[in-house]
Amino acid sequence: MARYFFDSGDRDVVLKDEVGIGCDGIGSARHQAIEGLVDLTREFLKDLNGQELFIEIRNEHGEKLAKLSLSLHAQPSAQ
Amino acid sequence: MGSTKLTGDGKRQITSFFVPGDIPDLHGMHLSVLDCTFSSLARASLGFMRHDAMRAICDRHASIAAIFWRSTLIDAAIYREWVTNVGRRDAYTRMAHILCELIVRLHSMGIIKDHVANLPVTQAALADALGLSTVHVNRVLQELRRNGLIFTEGTRFHAVDWAGLVRAGDFDATYLHQRTATTF
Repeated sequence: MARYFFDSGDRDVVLKDEVGIGCDGIGSARHQAIEGLVDLTREFLKDLNGQELFIEIRNEHGEKLAKLSLSLHAQPSAQ
Repeated sequence: MGSTKLTGDGKRQITSFFVPGDIPDLHGMHLSVLDCTFSSLARASLGFMRHDAMRAICDRHASIAAIFWRSTLIDAAIYREWVTNVGRRDAYTRMAHILCELIVRLHSMGIIKDHVANLPVTQAALADALGLSTVHVNRVLQELRRNGLIFTEGTRFHAVDWAGLVRAGDFDATYLHQRTATTF
């Protein structure tokens, strides 16, 4: 089991993960990141104006492996 | 120790934590079927007592029966707070709240003297207790550290700003019904 790090935030604030989570490979880490992104979105997605939330996965050597993001776009419906 | 339940699709919810000195399944003494699972979340020493022996003690000593009854009532109060915490507080407040509760309970049992507690639970177990993903638990612990409320080293949690952690956790110890809780 390897340790992966999950930095998270939006374009204004990024919280760097200094502890990490043990995962069985990058597939498992990506699955964990998706669940984390759902929680992050539930709590922090508040701005209708294209706010983007992300989680970026690093390995123990600091290499960035994947970035998962969600953003909200709102526009008036066509009449 | 924790009591746990599994959903139909196998998701685990930890429904309570027990600290050394607690009697986890006291409520089971008068119920014929155990409706949850008790499992150790870290290395633990357990004592077992037969229900018929417990009932015999209660039959002979009304004061002991009353103490056991009171203990199950406090357990119920903790469950009510748990539901409120998981159901209505945001993740940051939720985590601060559970840390406050565990520290007060460990202090009430005389296991800790200050605001430093050894909590040998994994981030995954905290996630299952709080109804959050492990990654989000990791994030809120990081936020609590960054805001100067806790310091962690392995499984050791130090509430370096106890008043701040209590505020962050929306924590009022009344529901624990401990004499020492309010002066802690």
